[in-house]
Amino acid sequence: MMGFDQIPTAFYFFLAALTVPFIAQGILRGLFLLAIPVLCAWNVWQMGFGEFATLPFFGFELELMRVDGLSRVFALIFCLAAFLGNLYAWHVRDTVQQVAALLYAGSAIGACLAGDLITLFFYWEGTAIASVFLIWARRTEGAYNTGVRYLIVQIGSGVVLIAGVALFYRDTGSITFENMTLGSLATWLIFLSFGIKCAFPLLHNWLQDSYPAATVTGTVILSAFTTKLAVYALARGFAGTEILIYIGTIMTLFPIFFAEIENDLRRVLAYSLNNQLGFMVVGVGIGTEMALNGTASHAFAHILYKALLFMSVGAVLFRTGTSKASELGGLYRTMPLTAAFCLVGAASISAFPLFSGFVTKSLVLSEAAEAHYKYVWLALVFASAGVLSHSGIKIPFFAFFAHDSGLRPKEAPRHMLIAMGITAFLCIYIGVFPGTLYAILPYHVEYHPYSMGHVVGQLQLLCFALLAFGVLMRTGIHPPEIRAINLDADWTYRKAAPSVIGLAARGIAVIYTRQMTFWSNRVNGIIGQLYHSHGPEGRTAQDWPTGAMVLSIAALLAATLVVAYLG
Amino acid sequence: MAEHKTDPNKLPTLGRLLLWVDKPGSANKIFWGLAVFCGILFLLDFTYEKHPHFDMEYVPGFYAIYGFVMFTLLILAAKGLRVLIKRPEDYYGDKAIDREDYPDDQIEKVNHDGL
Repeated sequence: MMGFDQIPTAFYFFLAALTVPFIAQGILRGLFLLAIPVLCAWNVWQMGFGEFATLPFFGFELELMRVDGLSRVFALIFCLAAFLGNLYAWHVRDTVQQVAALLYAGSAIGACLAGDLITLFFYWEGTAIASVFLIWARRTEGAYNTGVRYLIVQIGSGVVLIAGVALFYRDTGSITFENMTLGSLATWLIFLSFGIKCAFPLLHNWLQDSYPAATVTGTVILSAFTTKLAVYALARGFAGTEILIYIGTIMTLFPIFFAEIENDLRRVLAYSLNNQLGFMVVGVGIGTEMALNGTASHAFAHILYKALLFMSVGAVLFRTGTSKASELGGLYRTMPLTAAFCLVGAASISAFPLFSGFVTKSLVLSEAAEAHYKYVWLALVFASAGVLSHSGIKIPFFAFFAHDSGLRPKEAPRHMLIAMGITAFLCIYIGVFPGTLYAILPYHVEYHPYSMGHVVGQLQLLCFALLAFGVLMRTGIHPPEIRAINLDADWTYRKAAPSVIGLAARGIAVIYTRQMTFWSNRVNGIIGQLYHSHGPEGRTAQDWPTGAMVLSIAALLAATLVVAYLG
Repeated sequence: MAEHKTDPNKLPTLGRLLLWVDKPGSANKIFWGLAVFCGILFLLDFTYEKHPHFDMEYVPGFYAIYGFVMFTLLILAAKGLRVLIKRPEDYYGDKAIDREDYPDDQIEKVNHDGL
């Protein structure tokens, strides 16, 4: 029975996406794009917990609207991210991007609120298809190619998901989306599908490949949804799965090395995003109530400071046409506000006390310590210093300070400054008043981040890492920013696979041509010989009388007659 | 965007104030200021009672040492990694975003003084 106590929140976004093209570009459309996420956030907030919309679908009952502690916090931050992204994109006059952003945000929110796996699948693919237009909207050949690669991976994740869901239904007779235990092929497939979107090690490279390819504003929007949706899905489906602790730990570690030597600052941020996801995945793996609180709160804070960092680098790209560290430097002179907001984002992601990362990441770290994962904890502390190296230092330092690039771009446009200002304010507000965020987490929080030990320990870690940076810079050991790219897992499908296929194709072509030449030579030889002896000029044809043909036909007819007569 | 001489008076106020960081000697002051702050943080470790999860946290300045050493190792490792995986920007051909300029019609490249 169809029963909508409430209209599913995602539908508002889809309706808005349909309406947008009919509203004139300009202030009216801009306000409309800002109003939708606000209305939807209010809608989710006032709904309370429960299941509000079911839909019959080929004998299944789809749960379109399941609001609980976990799904609500993700839905709310997604609405907030959509609002900030649209505000940052106020100047954009490209309907494709505006519609794509609404469909993308709607799909991500719908997926969070999905109570069953089939609904999840539909929204899962929805995020893939909607988001690729934010990459294609750059309208260059490189962006097109990147978009195609991105789409293949994202759709692939959905295909794996639906295969897993089908097997899961066969095994259990249920499509409800709740905590699963890894074991059967079905659950492994679902796990893999989540893992692709969550950028697990070796499945991660779509992220670093595609985010720098999107438009200035598109990257800000992209950074919020897909991966955090995957984190949500893992938290919902695989909380307490131990392997996630180790996967998450590796995720926090390997990107920091790549980020350190990457030149494109938007790709540095993509690596850094990957590293931050690691902390959330570790939280899911530990799976206690506090750890899941840590994951949810870190996702919330992370979406804000990561958006802020992408906004500030985006503003630089908007004004200078490049986001490559080797081409930038010294921009604080003319873009001081952007630089200041960037520093707030950098301090937040580095988890300095009084900034948002400090009060959220530590939930995960202290749970890892509480559960006595000593080496995991050590790795996470190391990764925290690593975050400082690329997101805390490299991004602001090489873009806005360091050597003077001679560029004197104008300060970012006002709407970008407002968007960055609000985001920066929220980063600090959460850091100073963590209780506000803790109050909307899935479980009750008993945690006080501002203990003497925690503050001093964290400051020691960060300041001594900064000091190490100072020493390395003064001694010239720190690697310089140079124009180059670095290999990563995408090498396998951008270089290795094409070369292997190319090599195989050449090999097959050689064998084919040789075979063809050999056989056609043979056949030609036989024809030639036959022609030579039996052709009009041939030896056997030399003495043939003209009547020979008539004679042989007469003999043939006679033979036919005999056969017919006897038969 | 051509390089041209900048009149400090035309800079935004905050930008003008920040010019201090590029004055000769400022970098030194920042570095040594940070070093002193780090020293204070290290000493602070002796002033309160710790409630750590692991024994190693009892070591005075554990986080300081760990942060300094691991950060240095990270940079050195990344330098080594660069030797292995660095490639020219056209490695994946010219149809890749690393070789393209950002389309000019989607951005507003403007100098701060409009010049």
